[in-house]
Amino acid sequence: MQFSMRLMHSVKLILGAVVLTASMNILADVTIPHPPKPRGDKCSIPGDDEHKTAHHFEYLLHKRDQTMHQGIRTKQYSLKECINCHGPADKTVHYGNPKHFCSSCHRYASVNIDCFQCHADQPQPAEDNQASDLNPASFPHYAETTAKESKK
Amino acid sequence: MSDDTINKSRRSFVEKSATTFAALSVAPGIFLHQVGNARPADQAVTSQVRWGMLIDTSKCASGCDACVSACNRENGLKQHFGPEKDPVWIRKVKLRDTTTGHVTSLPMMCQHCEHPPCVDVCPTGDSFKREDGIVLVDRHICIGCRYCMMACPYKARSFEHEDVTDQKAYAPRGKGTVESCTFCVQRVDEGGTPACVEACSAENHNAMIFGDIKDPNSEISKELQKHGGNQIRSDLNLNTGVRYQGI
Repeated sequence: MQFSMRLMHSVKLILGAVVLTASMNILADVTIPHPPKPRGDKCSIPGDDEHKTAHHFEYLLHKRDQTMHQGIRTKQYSLKECINCHGPADKTVHYGNPKHFCSSCHRYASVNIDCFQCHADQPQPAEDNQASDLNPASFPHYAETTAKESKK
Repeated sequence: MSDDTINKSRRSFVEKSATTFAALSVAPGIFLHQVGNARPADQAVTSQVRWGMLIDTSKCASGCDACVSACNRENGLKQHFGPEKDPVWIRKVKLRDTTTGHVTSLPMMCQHCEHPPCVDVCPTGDSFKREDGIVLVDRHICIGCRYCMMACPYKARSFEHEDVTDQKAYAPRGKGTVESCTFCVQRVDEGGTPACVEACSAENHNAMIFGDIKDPNSEISKELQKHGGNQIRSDLNLNTGVRYQGI
């Protein structure tokens, strides 16, 4: 009886050790994400990185409905502006590539999003943003950006 | 237009402010300040405005498709998969009177109805009319059932069949959702006009006028009051935002 209990105990210990080593190995294989640095100075989403990681989608969702239904197109919490600042400079990097800012974390956290089935995953400078080349200055975004750039 | 009646207090306000308005204009038709641009960027659209379009078919040139190509360019619509799958937001329609042989050419797109059948039938509520009268698809909640496409009497909506890449940042669009003319809402929200209207003016055809049909001083309202504008399928009582002259 005593012998079998001892045996069970050692089996448990060995199993525990195996599980621990295995999980450490798994941890060692997962690369902690290092998202690319943003190009802007100030993030539109408030709080520290932890808050941003945990809540960025709530800000985006709220803004999404405001833009869609109420026509509020300010830069704050706009996905377009997130991408303009964090999006890859490399034109070949799209969402799904671990080098993409959004993918880097979503892959790590096993998060599946479908934003980029419709939305642009590459930054688009304002001059590309006006499609009608007939009268570029009539497109207010273009005019605004051009004015800002000429001030610089 | 019966639903766009202006109440008396608004009318008197407009009459009183006519002198102020005259002071703001430097020459007839040229204004220092446009009423449509008045909405601050951080405020929601209101039903004080109703966007509309007036198309003079006598000025619309047969064979010209400047409006169609401008729309495709503005909204990033690519023609890849043939006529059965490609998105069509605006198309040129040719009407031929069989008796007289007279040919009329006109652009046809979402008519931005006041009572849109596409909104009535949508099971998820993604097809909606904005306060300012623009009818849109909220693709975030569209399930791609295409019921709205069947309900639309103008064949204005398209279904995106294939994966879309390299979208315009301001015009997101993707597979499995329905889409149609948005009056270039991204431009309108910034005080601009739709790409088709701009393209038509650039071609010196000037067949399309865009503006606020609730503002009696807008170019479109004045023209509508003077010469009128027909609705296509007016028998359906949809009170369309897009009106036609010469048909």
